[in-house]
Amino acid sequence: MTVARTFRGSMPLVLLTAAVLVIFCGFPFAWMISTTFKQSHEIFATPPTLIPRTWTLGNLQRLFAETRALTYLRNSTVVSLSTVAMTIAVATPAAYSLTRFRYSGREQIAAAVLFTYMFAPIMIIIPFYVMMRFLGLTNTHFGLVLAYTAFCLPFSLWMLRSFFQSIPLDIEQAAMIDGANRLQTVLYVVLPLAVPGVAATSIFTFILTWNDYIFARILISADELKTLPVGIADLYNASVVDWGMIMASGLLILTPVMGVFFIIQKYMVAGLGAGALKG
Amino acid sequence: MGMLLVAPAVLLLMTLTLYPVLYGAWISVFNKHSFFAEQTFVGLGNYAYVLTDAQFWNSVRLGSIYALSSIILQIALGVTAALVVNEAFPGRNLVRSILIFPYVVPTVLAVILWKWLLNSQFGLVNYLLEDAGLISQPISWMGKDWIMTSLILVSVWQFFPFVMLAVLARLQSIPHELHEAAAIDGANALQRFVHVTLPQLKSVLFVVILLRSIWMFTKFDTPWLMILGGGAETYIRTLPVYTYQRTFAYYEAGIGSAMAVLMFLMLVVITAIYFRLFKREEGL
Repeated sequence: MTVARTFRGSMPLVLLTAAVLVIFCGFPFAWMISTTFKQSHEIFATPPTLIPRTWTLGNLQRLFAETRALTYLRNSTVVSLSTVAMTIAVATPAAYSLTRFRYSGREQIAAAVLFTYMFAPIMIIIPFYVMMRFLGLTNTHFGLVLAYTAFCLPFSLWMLRSFFQSIPLDIEQAAMIDGANRLQTVLYVVLPLAVPGVAATSIFTFILTWNDYIFARILISADELKTLPVGIADLYNASVVDWGMIMASGLLILTPVMGVFFIIQKYMVAGLGAGALKG
Repeated sequence: MGMLLVAPAVLLLMTLTLYPVLYGAWISVFNKHSFFAEQTFVGLGNYAYVLTDAQFWNSVRLGSIYALSSIILQIALGVTAALVVNEAFPGRNLVRSILIFPYVVPTVLAVILWKWLLNSQFGLVNYLLEDAGLISQPISWMGKDWIMTSLILVSVWQFFPFVMLAVLARLQSIPHELHEAAAIDGANALQRFVHVTLPQLKSVLFVVILLRSIWMFTKFDTPWLMILGGGAETYIRTLPVYTYQRTFAYYEAGIGSAMAVLMFLMLVVITAIYFRLFKREEGL
């Protein structure tokens, strides 16, 4: 715990500001949860209530019964986990190589990664779409996974690289002196030490993929292949807005994010520094 | 061996990032439908068209208003939040978590949460404002007069935590003795902030403002989703939204690509000017 620095002596002001910020950031979520569990007449009641007078699961039931929420949920899960697997499978050996081997172009590769900071999705999505269409990969989850992998690779490489850099070479050398070959050294010495880094990188990749709207919007048009963000956007865009159901869908998309958020909190700064969750 | 391990990553980046970027520049000199393969060479025709298109300039204007206002507010709120969370008080870690949270949620969620709160008929915000006697009739937050404000509000909510985290990381590395010394010399809290803390934040703010500018200027999903379900579209049609519409609603991939290239060039120019103006001064 660090001690008060700048504003010691102005504690009431600090606490008041903290309270206002917490309400600003947290209240929309509280309101979503409240709406999700209210009956429809209470959702529109005046004066509004924060704690539902009668709790109901009706909105969630309608969401699953009347929309394809479960399909979207499954699609999102499949696409996100596949992206994580593919990104980690490609990025881990590459990051290891960038920190442990010497070859020409090594530094350029690392620098090129930073250059991708300049490219927002909207700037590459058009040629990407034309390319995917040419390859017959639009409307496939594989095409979407490829897009996400390309998008997540730069920051994953950057993050994993710094994790590998923090593992002392001495440990590896000691293992090799003891007779382990390179593969054994990596499997039994380096990877176990790199687990937190790989886990943090996986989670950032997961969140980025889980949250994405633009790639899924453009590459997928078949309703049964849509992921949650696109599914929810379309649900909302339908003629009559069923706020209870929309908030229920919000709760659905939020839950996994909330779950992993608490795991990676302490890696937040490292992740942002590597360009994860840019936006 | 080393090259072999890095090869798949490099290959993927080249085919899925570098190639599309170059291919996009290539498409921009063709008259090309977004779906069909035929294309005819038009040279700089698309650029000439875009640069004389009033809609394009309007989208640049709206995009700049959006980016600038939301960046200023994000910085103000982010720095304030970082200073608050940097103090020691019970529950500080929980407060920090709650303040970071909006940054990790999907944009579609951020937008529907606020569309519900700001709903003109049943929204809580209008109810509270009316209840407090601040307004006599409901504000149409998604209507033409207010939609830009609503969009900026949602974006600030969603993205200020980035500023907070970056600034907080820097604050925690400022030596405690500096504030002690200033306090002993009789500086009050405000003076300590202005003369001790702020100068230390210059370098982190330099980077944060640059990144936020790049990201807000190219932000597509937040404005686009704000339009969905009845938002006053033309009043928040920023450059990324207009680029998207040209490509995927009018199917003009050539013109869309030319706009994307122009967007990139604008970023490069802005970044160059920004570095010119501030880098030497900051002594970075």
